[in-house]
Amino acid sequence: MKNILYMIAALMLTAATLNAQSDEFFEPKTTISGYGELHYNSVGVGDAERNETLDFHRFVLFVGHAFNEKWSLKSEIELEHNYIRGGQGELQLEQAYVNYHHADYLGLQFGVLLAASGLINEFHEPTNFFGVERPEYAAMIIPTTWFGNGIGLYGQYKGFDYRLLAIEGLDPDKISYSSGIRGARQKGYMADASRMLYNGRVDYTGISGLKIGASFAYNLAEGDTNNVAIFMFEGHAKYEKNGIIAVAEFGNISYDKGILKNSRGYYVDLGYDLSKVVNFGAQLAPFVRYSQVNPAHETLAGGNADKQYGFNQIMFGLNYKPNGNVIFKIDYNQKERLSDNLKTTSLNLGVGYIF
Amino acid sequence: MLILPQEIKERVEEVISNEFGSGIKYESEKYGIPSDVKTRVEKSAKQKFYSDNVYLYKIKSGKTLKAYGFLDNVYGKSLPITFMVFLDTKGSVLSAHIIKYREQYGGQVGSQGWLDQFKGRNNQSGYEVSKDIDSISGATISVNSVTTGIKKITLLYQEIKDKIK
Repeated sequence: MKNILYMIAALMLTAATLNAQSDEFFEPKTTISGYGELHYNSVGVGDAERNETLDFHRFVLFVGHAFNEKWSLKSEIELEHNYIRGGQGELQLEQAYVNYHHADYLGLQFGVLLAASGLINEFHEPTNFFGVERPEYAAMIIPTTWFGNGIGLYGQYKGFDYRLLAIEGLDPDKISYSSGIRGARQKGYMADASRMLYNGRVDYTGISGLKIGASFAYNLAEGDTNNVAIFMFEGHAKYEKNGIIAVAEFGNISYDKGILKNSRGYYVDLGYDLSKVVNFGAQLAPFVRYSQVNPAHETLAGGNADKQYGFNQIMFGLNYKPNGNVIFKIDYNQKERLSDNLKTTSLNLGVGYIF
Repeated sequence: MLILPQEIKERVEEVISNEFGSGIKYESEKYGIPSDVKTRVEKSAKQKFYSDNVYLYKIKSGKTLKAYGFLDNVYGKSLPITFMVFLDTKGSVLSAHIIKYREQYGGQVGSQGWLDQFKGRNNQSGYEVSKDIDSISGATISVNSVTTGIKKITLLYQEIKDKIK
């Protein structure tokens, strides 16, 4: 923690001595934007009766204010599942930070920050991905939305886009077979700051239509009995050009103690935007996904958890954007459990917006 | 002559000399957009002008007018993006450039590969993102703003071309 304090002090000193003059194009401004998504899910496990739900999954407001050209505030407040009752539904402060933009190659951030991991965590609006729900990979391997209190730097240089963060760590006592580090996020709630998590990402966007990158996260997470060294590495790529939309993400988390040895998963999407051909709306994109996700890919505790929590998934669907701000989605997918080939099928419908 | 912040001035000079050669001459002025023109262009482009002025550059080779340059701003998520568009005398885009970007995300709109899509477009061209102009993953807001900003300049030029000769 001491190191972190030194780092903060050094960053603030740097920021304070840098010239924060604004040019004549700048005007202080407060902006409000946001997104939301309503989902219908029909899920059937094996031969059991299907379970149908209607859920306004996320209602999100972004509030930002630029104090001057260099210093600004950014925030994101999210209400999940309409309202909160007895531990269900969530109200979350997913982002709230002071941003210092020194130049394109260097900016600093202080506050609640999004982890820089994968394609979806930092860009989680419904218009950015295929499928009604976020990919299983973006829940069970990269636990989106993953945010924490801390400090960070970011920048861009010659087609490279990078971030480096020190944020609150994970709680290793809450790592699970069923969802890896998902339950271990502290979500900023009186976060234990004794062991920071270090996270870095580099993307290359120098080729038109392509974004390709990788990230790591390391945390020597402090638990009640054990300290667990957690290391995540992931790679991601998205190609969007001439109607083709191709997405791939792969990630591995390794643990040195506890119940798990590895969590691992990937997915691949291939879609084609027909709107260019049929002149209908801003996007009309059928797609197909194949995914394998196993939060208990290898276990340290033994047993058959490594088969019980892993699954293969195949999905077909359609994204339709009548304009750049509204999206309708439909998908049908089948998950097959590794241990006994138990099949879970889902039919999902969704509508979302951004503004 | 215009008085611009040093950083912007240097970047504009760099862009002009890269585009037209280092010996090129130019005149510049702060151009007040007539209010009726402003209303018409804003309505047609579906985007407001950042202010009542744009910065107009006349690029000259000897006494011949080679091109017009427009320096203007659009809003990204919450901060202005300063950009420059060069038009030939018919109003077609010769090139477009990002002069200054101020946000964390979306800076990829500054890549010349993406900006080159605007070359040759004019006030009659299509500017719909993902259909006519490629989107950029993770930079949707900036892509939409800059695209409409450039379209707006081509529309403005047709309205004012006789006045600025």
